[in-house]
Amino acid sequence: MDRRAMWAIAIKDIKAIRSSVQVWLPMILVPIVMCALIPGGMIYGVRRFGIEGMGNMGNMDSLAKLIDSLPPGSLRDTITSFDSPEKQVLYFVLNHLFVSFFLIIPLMLSSVITANSFAVEKERGTLETLLFSPVEIRTLFAGKVLSAFIPGMAVTFLCGLVYGIVVNVLAYPLFEELIFPTLNWAVLLLWTIPAVILFAIFINVIISAKVKGFQEAYQLSGLLVLPVLALVLGQALGALVLDTQWLLWGGAMVLALAMGMLGFISRHFDRNRLFESQVS
Amino acid sequence: MAPSPIIRLSKVSKSFKDVQAIKDLSFTVSKGEIVGLLGPNGAGKTTVVRLINGVIAADAGTVEIFGQSPLAESNSIRSRTGVLTESAGLYGHMTAKENLAFFARIYGVQDYPSRIDMLLQEFGLAEYKDRKAETFSTGMRKRLGIAKALIHRPDVLFLDEPTTGLDPEASRDLLGYIKELNARDGVTIVLATHLLRQVQELCHRFLFLHRGQLIESGTLRQLEDKYLKSFQVKVESDLKVEGPSYRGFPLQQVEPGVLIFTVETKSQVPELLRQILSEASVYSAEILGRDLETLYFNVRGNFRG
Ligand SMILES: Nc1ncnc2c1ncn2[C@@H]1O[C@H](COP(=O)(O)OP(=O)(O)O)[C@@H](O)[C@H]1O
Ligand SMILES: [Mg+2]
Repeated sequence: MDRRAMWAIAIKDIKAIRSSVQVWLPMILVPIVMCALIPGGMIYGVRRFGIEGMGNMGNMDSLAKLIDSLPPGSLRDTITSFDSPEKQVLYFVLNHLFVSFFLIIPLMLSSVITANSFAVEKERGTLETLLFSPVEIRTLFAGKVLSAFIPGMAVTFLCGLVYGIVVNVLAYPLFEELIFPTLNWAVLLLWTIPAVILFAIFINVIISAKVKGFQEAYQLSGLLVLPVLALVLGQALGALVLDTQWLLWGGAMVLALAMGMLGFISRHFDRNRLFESQVS
Repeated sequence: MAPSPIIRLSKVSKSFKDVQAIKDLSFTVSKGEIVGLLGPNGAGKTTVVRLINGVIAADAGTVEIFGQSPLAESNSIRSRTGVLTESAGLYGHMTAKENLAFFARIYGVQDYPSRIDMLLQEFGLAEYKDRKAETFSTGMRKRLGIAKALIHRPDVLFLDEPTTGLDPEASRDLLGYIKELNARDGVTIVLATHLLRQVQELCHRFLFLHRGQLIESGTLRQLEDKYLKSFQVKVESDLKVEGPSYRGFPLQQVEPGVLIFTVETKSQVPELLRQILSEASVYSAEILGRDLETLYFNVRGNFRG
């Protein structure tokens, strides 16, 4: 693989994110809203008004009931060890429900970045120019993967950092200890999310290299969010606890799937196929 | 000594679904030539450029460039060819300089900062080097596209519709660059266009493509000899004549003082002029219908008939 060409493509595509508002706007807004405003607002509300006061706003009341029905395990043990319902609910939301939210952010971002970078190359005729050059298809794909993986991870870590600061600063007065990060978060940020990002990128590479228009690409890749939404729902209903083991195994499974897709990509896409499907 | 062909197509066919884009096409291009690949839109010019570069595969026949199949040896071949695609293929949000630097890395050019400066200078883009490509006029984009295609010093340059969308002045400038490139650096050039008039002077040889088939090829001179059975000579003169002919030459008077004679061979032209001069003045004389466009229509008329 030609590393110089690979990095040239990756860096070019990362820089190109700046000129595409539908990519950089969510990259900034999503972390602010999901990692600062929502958790911050929630902690503030619970501290200010208590669980009863929040009841009719955020359904905190039913959350408290949900905690009671959690399956036995370390999460339930930790939660029940807190002395007030406020702490119990906050801990449940902040260290349990938000785990699956964190999966959605990089999944969506890396999908949008990948789909967009292919779409722009197609639209401008630059993909055709690249296919005329001696750059190998796997080098081209590797550059594209890096250009989505690096920003995806950067946003993930940034989110984690912002989230950690907001949660610890705002929740400290209540808990009088730091509740973030737990081992769960470390596994999520360093193992599960990178695997999910790779998976999302590879799926999007396949979709983008198959379909002509990027509307289709966006729509198809939007479907990726569905399984994660199922996780969110499962967690919210208390049916599913994404504990450390779960995150480790889940990450390994997703990574295995991603590697399978990588194999498919390298077998399936050669220059002629790509040219005939992408260049009109 | 006939130079050895650098590109050779033999009996090449290519279909897209139900469209036969190229049919039984054979031709060669020699080192150092400027060959015009001519034909109307949809004739198959772009497809030919793609086939030679191995980005698409032929259904039948063989394509060779530098003595190899572009499909088997494609990467070593691609580093010896440069292509200006119809869209020019530039990154609009990047400056002229950034575009060239990017492609220099893609092509593995070592000394690229100096190469870029030189190309920007040569194509009259030096003062716009820090402007984004999306702000460029079509002419500037095509020039930058050619600079990009030359970044790695290719032996063969493919230009797909280089003058389409350019005003006459920009076209002339661009064709000037191309001519110089060929004369000075010996770059072999394959130029695909439907604008015959513009490339008539530039190309050494022409290939006429019609619905994916080669219907004629040759130099301007060869095509003239083959297709111009008679010549029309437009003469501006104060010659007074009556009737449809003058000393055996058929004649038309288009307006007072402007006469169009028909001669069978070019060698009759001096004789005709001498005759006129013996009894009147001649202010100007030119042979009509020698341009490529007229020849092309003759070729096509012949092909159909
Ligand atoms: N990728 C493609 N898919 C389907 N049809 C194509 C494709 N490329 C070219 N064609 C068809 O092949 C014919 C020749 O096209 P092209 O080589 O682009 O002609 P030209 O460049 O001379 O205008 C046209 O009828 C065109 O519609
Ligand atoms: Mg064309």
